[in-house]
Amino acid sequence: MPNHLNDLRPDFTKRKISCGSIPAYRFEATLADELAARHITKREAVNLLEDMLIVREFEEMIVKLRSGAYPACAGFEYRGPTHVSIGQEACSVGACSGIAAEDYITSTHRGHGDSVAKGCVAIRQMNAAALRSRVPDATGTPGEICEAALEDHIFRTAAELFGKEDGYCKGRGGSMHIADFSVGHLGANAIVGGGVPIATGAAWACRYLRNGRVAVSFAGDGAYSNGVVLESLNWAAQHQFTNMLAKGHSYGLPMIFAIQNNHYGMTGRADNEVAGVEFLARRAAGFDDRNMHAEVVNGMDVLAVREAMQRAAALCREGRGPCLLELSTYRYYGHSLSDPRNEYRTREEETAWKEVDPLERYTREIVAARALTRKGVEALVEKVQARNARAAARAAKALEPKPADVLKYLYSDLTSAVVPAEFQKVEIVREKPAITRTNGQLTYRDALKEALLEEMLRDNRVVVYGEDVAEYGGAFKVTKGLLEAFGRERIFNSPISEAAICSTAVGSAMLGLRPVIELMYMDFALMSGDAIGNQAAKWHYMSGAKAEIAMVIRASVGGGKGYGGQHSQTLESVFAHIPGLYVVYPATPRDAKGLLKTAIRDNNPILFVESQLLYMTKGEVPEDPEFTIPLGLAEVKREGKDISFVVWGPALQDALKAADELAGDGVEAEVVDLRSLIPLDMATVLRSVRKTGKVVVGSQCVTTGSFMGEVIANIQHDAFDALDAPIQRVGARDTIAPQSHVLESAFLPNAADFVAAARAIL
Amino acid sequence: MAQPILMPKLGQSDEVAPIVKWRKRIGETVNKGDILFEIETEKAVLEVESFFAGRLIKIVVPAGQAAPVNATVAFLGKPGEKAPEVAAAAAHPVVEHGAGGRHGGRPSRVENKDYALSSGGSGSVPTVAAPLAATAVPLKPGRLLISPRARALASASCIDPAGIAGSGPDGRIVEKDVRAHLEARGYDKLRISPAAKALAAQQKVDILSVTGTGEGGRIMTEDIQRALAERPKPLTLMRQTIARRLTQSVVTTPHFYVTVSVDMGDLLKLRQEAKARGSDYSVTDFILAACIMALQEAPEVNSSTDGQSVRWHASVHLGLATSRPDGLVVPVIRDAQKLTLAELHQAAKALAARARDGKLLPEELSGSTFTVSNMGMLNVENFTAIINPGESAILAVSSTLPTPVARDGNVVVRPIMKITLASDHRLVDGAMAARFVNAIKTKLEDVSLWTRSI
Ligand SMILES: Cc1ncc(C[n+]2csc(CCOP(=O)(O)OP(=O)(O)O)c2C)c(N)n1
Ligand SMILES: [Mg+2]
Repeated sequence: MPNHLNDLRPDFTKRKISCGSIPAYRFEATLADELAARHITKREAVNLLEDMLIVREFEEMIVKLRSGAYPACAGFEYRGPTHVSIGQEACSVGACSGIAAEDYITSTHRGHGDSVAKGCVAIRQMNAAALRSRVPDATGTPGEICEAALEDHIFRTAAELFGKEDGYCKGRGGSMHIADFSVGHLGANAIVGGGVPIATGAAWACRYLRNGRVAVSFAGDGAYSNGVVLESLNWAAQHQFTNMLAKGHSYGLPMIFAIQNNHYGMTGRADNEVAGVEFLARRAAGFDDRNMHAEVVNGMDVLAVREAMQRAAALCREGRGPCLLELSTYRYYGHSLSDPRNEYRTREEETAWKEVDPLERYTREIVAARALTRKGVEALVEKVQARNARAAARAAKALEPKPADVLKYLYSDLTSAVVPAEFQKVEIVREKPAITRTNGQLTYRDALKEALLEEMLRDNRVVVYGEDVAEYGGAFKVTKGLLEAFGRERIFNSPISEAAICSTAVGSAMLGLRPVIELMYMDFALMSGDAIGNQAAKWHYMSGAKAEIAMVIRASVGGGKGYGGQHSQTLESVFAHIPGLYVVYPATPRDAKGLLKTAIRDNNPILFVESQLLYMTKGEVPEDPEFTIPLGLAEVKREGKDISFVVWGPALQDALKAADELAGDGVEAEVVDLRSLIPLDMATVLRSVRKTGKVVVGSQCVTTGSFMGEVIANIQHDAFDALDAPIQRVGARDTIAPQSHVLESAFLPNAADFVAAARAIL
Repeated sequence: MAQPILMPKLGQSDEVAPIVKWRKRIGETVNKGDILFEIETEKAVLEVESFFAGRLIKIVVPAGQAAPVNATVAFLGKPGEKAPEVAAAAAHPVVEHGAGGRHGGRPSRVENKDYALSSGGSGSVPTVAAPLAATAVPLKPGRLLISPRARALASASCIDPAGIAGSGPDGRIVEKDVRAHLEARGYDKLRISPAAKALAAQQKVDILSVTGTGEGGRIMTEDIQRALAERPKPLTLMRQTIARRLTQSVVTTPHFYVTVSVDMGDLLKLRQEAKARGSDYSVTDFILAACIMALQEAPEVNSSTDGQSVRWHASVHLGLATSRPDGLVVPVIRDAQKLTLAELHQAAKALAARARDGKLLPEELSGSTFTVSNMGMLNVENFTAIINPGESAILAVSSTLPTPVARDGNVVVRPIMKITLASDHRLVDGAMAARFVNAIKTKLEDVSLWTRSI
């Protein structure tokens, strides 16, 4: 039985709730101890030093570039962020060396170290074929080819910072959005905390795919005050992943929250100022009965970080995640190079932290452990400097992207037209919901459900979640019955965390899943502003088309039923303004099914708008599971020659009624339903305008600043000479949806408004 | 540094002058003193010389456009030098009075303390108050109110929509008005050759206004060409100036006319004799000289008024109405009273030549105190002239024609020339005018006056 009925009894027994304890700085071993215990090989030990040196050299290059003091790039002007992490190298290198090459990370605006380290660690573990695909022209011994791949890695990283076509993201991402999906790097994120729910979604996808991998989110102390990060902590710890609801797959999210606590946000102090805890690791206790196995770790000790990370990853792979590690570290420079630091901290503090510098400390250890001689260390430093300089010089001279390609990679051309065999295996856990036609007709609601059902049957990468979508079937019953069909792994109730709902979908999409998530009311999409606008919309472009963000956000519009200002908004214009998103709004049952199926198969992030006014409307809907409607194709819903109504959403019904009424006057109105705003089908609109010469553009959007203006701008530009009268707009009034029935009727457009607008120009 | 070339102030009243022609091309070398371009003023086309040497690197105001005085019209520089950006807005006049125009349709939202009050009733996003509202701004004068679709239909049909009654809001002509017009005018039955239609479309000739002369009333190319020839063309700047100044004169100056006949027999004989001796004077020279003498004797006639006061001029600045193919100019001989007959002859000849070539300088075209209009060579019996504004009289000189006259009781045929003085009655009365023309007559008939001078 996938359905679960709670049986919670009142229990007010007097007791104390224990929050357990969180260990701090438990690692005390030296490198010599670790070598002796065979916890690390000499080779690995040297690699740790080399990677820390590469990171530091790379970031010192950025500092020097700003004053023209990096001779390898003489004359090159670096424009871009300078968020260097000098001082934090042990966190990046220790953490990346503690997880497997195929594990995932997300990083931050201060993520050069994470990016460089993840790549270096992964490259050293690559087999010959993988290396060859990175550096096809390299020759020599396997060691030499690996060297070439490392240099290429530095080159591609620098080229991305420099905005070059050879960069990892083709110069579209840059320092703060660098990603290399081929080594599990799911992207740095310039939104503080933005990468954390993405990693959480990736961890959820690892759990779903049972791939044994782990996702790590690197994020700063500052991020751990951000709502979406706190939502992620809760998300990762949900009981449903491990308790009886998980049925045979009790497996906690393989998620490691790695807090890079350098004790400062930009300048705001975590300690004694903007946080109420001394150790951020305590956050874990607030979200997870097991405290997420939280620990505080010396982030200036690469071995301590590595060891803690190895244990956390092992726990995750046993299904005992999530884990949280607070890595205490220090940022020597300011937030960026324009920050002098002296406004908020002392020089003495800086000196004290530099005395525990991770590179110096580890160099001492490596010499003491005889893994390298002093001379050997010097040779390594020289090798790293020379390699970095060669890579940077090449990056500075690399090709710029072509200006004509500024739009390239904005949208993906790919679809899931062919479902690989492994994803075609679908288990029906009990029974499919019955969807019955009367006279060949379905409601808009059932048309949506049929689309979801068919697509979930077709491709097991299609997963559904949102608030109350499981047993209850969603606030509007669109998903009712899908839990019984597919079980909780494919459809589950989410916490009330709209931001995390959308951002975790981005993370799981990055791993190849095709999430369809539900936002109960479109108004709540504003809670997910970052997830939709900065993450979902942007990652395909910012990654230079390395990421495919195949996800559908179903958002329901509540306008017209007296729910007031926060449950009635028609916000598609807001999202149509954000490049990278598709915005679809079907107005009939047939379109609802055909468009939702296409949206699920499309590889772009799609805001799929539904109207609660329409859920009960009926119409003919094809039964064919291969019936789809292309995105970006408007439809003439009624032909006429005297005036064009160009509409979308529930305004279609009003326009059709208006056309009926005008027919009484002998006026033949044509009604064009856009069906999707992005992509926008102007050709169909213009064809109609050229025929009639008179246009009313209508929707339920608040009029000012809405997408109606965009349609009008296009019409006047492309069909000016076809116009016989000024174009009219029929939208909602420029105010907030009122609760009062009388006022809401005045607020929303109706058929009479269309008739009046038409008569004004007929 | 590129050297800017400015629009010179050449005329009296010109604040804006159109460049009619550039005489140097971009990249051409310009020496100091070279003619750079030509401008049209009220009175003439003037050449503008360069004060600088260099290469013409940029033309800011191309031929056919006007620029205000002192505006940069071009730049000289070294080869390859980049000219600074100058707002082409310096060019003139391109002021648009369209409704809203480039400021965009919707006025922007402004801080408004009374926001809650002012928007309460309207239920819409508050906008800037009335003055900017699109409909409050009148259309550019002469702009036809017509929908783009109706305009497109009219132009595709080769008709002028200007006269069509509009049935749309504010009387806008919409598509159905154009269709009704076409139907009412029997457009369907209209027959026109394809070449004629193409020409009509190209030249924007309203084919409904053309009468076809082809077989069965078919409109042919010649019909379109005829219509084109009749089409009004804008007056040249010079004609506009003439129109303005002479209308002003006729409207503000009470003219009256006095005509006398001058017997030119003796003077013509004298002129022949002089010519035989090698000194070639024209009849005009004597007429001008006679006028100068008469004017010195009658300062009332060598005067001007603004209707409030009168000004007697100490010098005679003599205007010579001179015709050109494109109009009329009045070059001025300054301080004519100081010139000998020979000098007068030279001055008049030179001015006439320069007037014909359009090369008069602005100072040669203004400041006359009395004007002579001579149609002697045009075979006219008599005519009257309109006083040049700012003067008190003008003398109209007709052709010298063999005329029977009474002399000593007999009718004899004499070479008679009629001269008619038009006077400003505010300054000159009948008796004065009569005395003045008779003084001229007497001088022209009294050869003894001239024998000394030639
Ligand atoms: C959502 C968001 N708010 C604010 C900023 C501006 N900002 C950039 S970095 C930063 C401080 C981040 O602190 P922390 O998470 O500790 O990372 P650190 O810079 O210390 O590595 C801030 C406030 C941002 N990029 N994103
Ligand atoms: Mg920090």
